[in-house]
Amino acid sequence: MTEARRRLALPVLGVTLLAALLMATSVGSVSLPFRGVAGALLARAGLPVDAAALGPTGEAILFSVRLPRVLLAALVGGGLAVVGATLQAVFRNPLADAGLLGVGSGAAFGAVLAVNAGLASSVFFALPFAAFAGAMIAVLAVYIIAGASGRASLSGLLLTGIAVSALAGAGTSVLLVATEEFRVKAVLFWLAGGLEGRGWTHVQAGAAFVLTGVALLVLLGRPLDVLSLGEEEAASLGLRVRATRLLLLGLASLVGGACTAVAGAVPFVGLMAPHALRPVVGPLGRRLLPAAFLGGAILVVLADLGARTLSESFELPLGALTAFVGAPYFLLALRANEGR
Amino acid sequence: MRLAAALWRAAILGAGLAAAVASSAQPTAAAKPQRVASINLSADEVLSAILPPGRLVSVTRWADDKGTSNVVGRIPPSVHRFVKADLEQLVALRPDLVVVSEYTDADFLKQLERSGLRFHRMQGISSIEGVRAAILDLGRVVGEDDSARRLVARFDATLAELRRRLAGAKPPRVLYWSSNMTAGADTAIGSLIEAAGGANVGREMGVSGIAPPGAERAFVADPDAVLVGTWPQAREALTEHPLLQKMRAVREGRMVVLPTERIVALSQFTADAAWELAHLLHPDRVPASPPGGSQ
Repeated sequence: MTEARRRLALPVLGVTLLAALLMATSVGSVSLPFRGVAGALLARAGLPVDAAALGPTGEAILFSVRLPRVLLAALVGGGLAVVGATLQAVFRNPLADAGLLGVGSGAAFGAVLAVNAGLASSVFFALPFAAFAGAMIAVLAVYIIAGASGRASLSGLLLTGIAVSALAGAGTSVLLVATEEFRVKAVLFWLAGGLEGRGWTHVQAGAAFVLTGVALLVLLGRPLDVLSLGEEEAASLGLRVRATRLLLLGLASLVGGACTAVAGAVPFVGLMAPHALRPVVGPLGRRLLPAAFLGGAILVVLADLGARTLSESFELPLGALTAFVGAPYFLLALRANEGR
Repeated sequence: MRLAAALWRAAILGAGLAAAVASSAQPTAAAKPQRVASINLSADEVLSAILPPGRLVSVTRWADDKGTSNVVGRIPPSVHRFVKADLEQLVALRPDLVVVSEYTDADFLKQLERSGLRFHRMQGISSIEGVRAAILDLGRVVGEDDSARRLVARFDATLAELRRRLAGAKPPRVLYWSSNMTAGADTAIGSLIEAAGGANVGREMGVSGIAPPGAERAFVADPDAVLVGTWPQAREALTEHPLLQKMRAVREGRMVVLPTERIVALSQFTADAAWELAHLLHPDRVPASPPGGSQ
């Protein structure tokens, strides 16, 4: 783990992400010629390039679904990885992710509620909005209940998160059973995680929350590092522990909620990307968080490419794919850790 | 709902959960079953047409659901309605034959056997020929061969007249679309499209069963028409999708809407469904109603 490697990591990740984005944009269930895609993108950016190579069909695919989908995959992957890295530092546990705070189960409850009420099919953007609201309400409930005893301890937060998640999960089951079956399909697709049919509105909404949240979290890298030393050490170094923690958790929930709202459940990204990059760039927030963002983005862009292309005749759920890769990775990492 | 059942078919078969192990009990030819309990909608539709009143003791609640059933209002209120396959209620009805579907799960069938109830499983209804055979089968099992044959004769006549009228017609390329899913080869909906004088774009795309092919593939396939049901937001799912709204058939408004209960019909009404779809696809050759009216 040399300084040179640390410095090289970000540019290498950046270039890899760019390559992954380009590849994911031209490869798909329908193959678009790479030069045509590059030409169309450059022409759209205002450069004097001949953009005719792609044809109207290719252009429609590229600009109405392919490009927003690929960009959204990058945003969601990056966001989830930064959330994972942040929570792992706050909870001082490399297994922590947004699920601990009730983000996933709250979002699922919100989404199912919107579908059950028929809003998801009649009001544009109602499903992601309800999922986001559900995630935020669950997280708020966790904070308020855990903080009600006066001093919110980490273990108190964790256990409250589990209880609130279970409660939201129970609500989701009840609603699912009571939902008309032709509506259930829509919510199952969402629960399995995926980016089918996402357009520019999702990218805009996702980008607003994810990019702002990630930027603030990176800026808060130093207090995050201090906090990861432990509460007492952090307090003795003059950090306002509770306020800082609340701010970090709040931002992480916001980003995690936004990612889940637009993409459904995409598990293990928040664990894999930080875990793989920590040995390369070190544990410090201002380096790890940007690296995790790029790494998570690469991971999900490629996973979504797989979801679109691995099967000849249908699309696989993105969340299942990241779990197929993530769960074995996680188990191997666990064993390596124990072997040490 | 049978639509959901149809949609799940691919997944269930793919997972190898189709309980091919349980076979239907062969009825003794001696006595006609006097108390027939149906716990699947296909059987509800067929039995309500071939059994004399009084011998049908239960149907599913879907039989009363407009938008799912083709026999709404045709089954007397005295007949029990199953909200779900409930063994206790089933035993209490004292049926001498229970008609289950291909998708009834194996655990439930085991329980049926243990309770000493005889059952018949409707099989192979994922094509028009399969539906036809299943009607005849069911007629045999309940001892109403003649009624079942009459039903099938109407079925055959409708389809034969349809073939005559469609001879030489250029088949429009039709894509079925429901919640991102399409119907490919080996599906009842696919064979419905083909019987109605269309070419099934799902099959062209290499889809088998009911599966989500992805919007990009659907867009590039460029179908002449898109078939959707009358379920809420069926058209909006196309007109509001970022890419599908640009599909030629959607832009030019060639969305063919067939009542959902017709699309999912797996009974004598399948022939009527084919006729009605053919009328929408080939209005110049096929009038609105089949000869002699619908079933």
